Amino acid sequence: MNDYLEVKNLSKSFEGFRLHDITFTLPKGYIMGLIGPNGSGKTTTIKLILNMLKRTSGEVKILGFDNIANEQEAKRNLGVVFDSNYFSDEWKISQVEKSVSAFYENWNTQKFSETLKKFHIQPSKKVKELSKGMQMKLMLACAFSYDAKLLILDEPTSGLDPVSRDELLHILSEYIEDGEHSVLFSTHLTRDLERAADYITYIRYGELFFSGGKDEFLDLFRIVKGGREELTADLSKKMLGIRNFSTGFEALVKTEDLKQYAHLNAEPATIDDIVVFTSKRGEPYE
Amino acid sequence: MNDIWRAAKLDFSLVKPYVKSICFTMVLPVVFAAVNRSLLTGISFAMCFIAMTTGYTFSVTEKNSMERLYGILPIRKSDMVIGRYIFIMIMGITALIFSLAVHPVILTILGESISAFDHISAAVIGIFLFALYTVFQLPGYYKLGSIKGRVFMYIPVAGFLITLLFLTKVPVGESRLLFTVIHSPVLLMLSTVILVIAMYAVSIRVSIQILKNKEV
Amino acid sequence: MKLIISNISGIPIYEQIKQQIKSAIMSGDLQKDETLPSLRTLAKELKISVLTVTRAYTELEQEGFVQNVQGRGCFVLGQGSELLREQLLCKIENSLSEAISAARVADLSEEELHHLLSILMEEKTDE
Repeated sequence: MNDYLEVKNLSKSFEGFRLHDITFTLPKGYIMGLIGPNGSGKTTTIKLILNMLKRTSGEVKILGFDNIANEQEAKRNLGVVFDSNYFSDEWKISQVEKSVSAFYENWNTQKFSETLKKFHIQPSKKVKELSKGMQMKLMLACAFSYDAKLLILDEPTSGLDPVSRDELLHILSEYIEDGEHSVLFSTHLTRDLERAADYITYIRYGELFFSGGKDEFLDLFRIVKGGREELTADLSKKMLGIRNFSTGFEALVKTEDLKQYAHLNAEPATIDDIVVFTSKRGEPYE
Repeated sequence: MNDIWRAAKLDFSLVKPYVKSICFTMVLPVVFAAVNRSLLTGISFAMCFIAMTTGYTFSVTEKNSMERLYGILPIRKSDMVIGRYIFIMIMGITALIFSLAVHPVILTILGESISAFDHISAAVIGIFLFALYTVFQLPGYYKLGSIKGRVFMYIPVAGFLITLLFLTKVPVGESRLLFTVIHSPVLLMLSTVILVIAMYAVSIRVSIQILKNKEV
Repeated sequence: MKLIISNISGIPIYEQIKQQIKSAIMSGDLQKDETLPSLRTLAKELKISVLTVTRAYTELEQEGFVQNVQGRGCFVLGQGSELLREQLLCKIENSLSEAISAARVADLSEEELHHLLSILMEEKTDE
């Protein structure tokens, strides 16, 4: 079992939105970032993986188990973190354990209390008394207590302060350190992924733009900058996205075309640059 | 079976913070029984009240967007639904047992004599009414949720009012079959049990189908 | 061994790791048969991707600086003269690139640059 998550030709049609033909694979032992602007289909993809939405076509396998035919086996090895917690507000942390642990045969009570201690969560507190960052950690503590092999996080960092975001990244790199765990991490705050992600899957307007190694992804693009007079119509046609301003322009280009822009300043692109420039195509730039 | 039981326990943990207020709703039927001097009315009222609280699990789930928790737990959707039905039935049976224990005591103090047959017929009717209310309520909650499906909370009230009319107006004597059944405790219990099981079987199937087709 | 990653240098992270490990080997900081930190531990500690470290280690192995032994880690192979030479060549290339950039700014032609190089080399031999 080397691929912890396989998504093949996954499609889903709603009224007014279509997720079309998404394919990617997450091998065991790595972190994959699922990126794209809001409304591009990240959450839809995750809900399809979790069988919370019904797919129109395609296939999803979690640790080799079909997510519908073998839903229970698939979910036994799965931990999920959403942008807000999914426990009852009124529950104490000890009640969270009581309610959730029953469903996992390999639940490790000692591990749970150790993790709580590590995360500085008091078991006597109620869920509603926890901060957003703490609630996220509580969801993680649960997933760690049944040793979830695959962790799926849907926008976990939106609404978190920089300290909690940094902590999360640290927790995740510890989690995959033994090479036996994988993480699928959806976010529009791509700075979080810039360093820690091994793979990137970029969904744009419901379609797959790229899926593969992060370094490879970043290597595909460059940012070029220059004065306005250096931008010819021919060149601008080949650019993936341009931002014009009064004293010059910035554009995202393919690295393979770089020699055509030899007269311009070129620098590496960040994930943010790539998403921003490629998501605006077709719109007027002013 | 294990998963069903776990689901029922999870439902209990949802309602646990509200147990006091649910228990409180069982006080009023006692008064009602005393005023009407009738065990049957008291029990009918109690079952109506407890059935009005079956939306709690749905409300708590909805308030905390817990469909996401249910979505990630390794449990079949059908077991989840059956677990909820079991939990609701336990709630009903608990209310029934409480009322059957308390109401007769009050009525006896007030000078009424309550026969064993009164007990049995009240129990049978109580079970039947509770089943009748909940088999419609639960699929309704599953379909619409507890906020949009608020109207289903009032099914028991409507049912209760109809029962009051029914109890006084139906000319039992005219139907021989009904007469025989009502006056034979064994037949009465047997036919109720069969009817209740059949009703729940259909209702559970409908609820499972609704949940399976639901997208969250 | 010291490893420091810069986010603003513009040099890819795997390249930074490679260069720093290489110079640690050249300077004798890393001795023959010493092991490099485990791939996944290093990734965790530097908060970088496992694949990035993998790439750095793989390229170091291809270039003959280290050897990866399955399940036991990455061993330093020591400083052969071949490697040293290669490293020096790299240094030369870098310095020359820097010179070329400066020449561009100064509007120096290629011939003039060649000429300057010849003069400097003659001066060195004279010494």
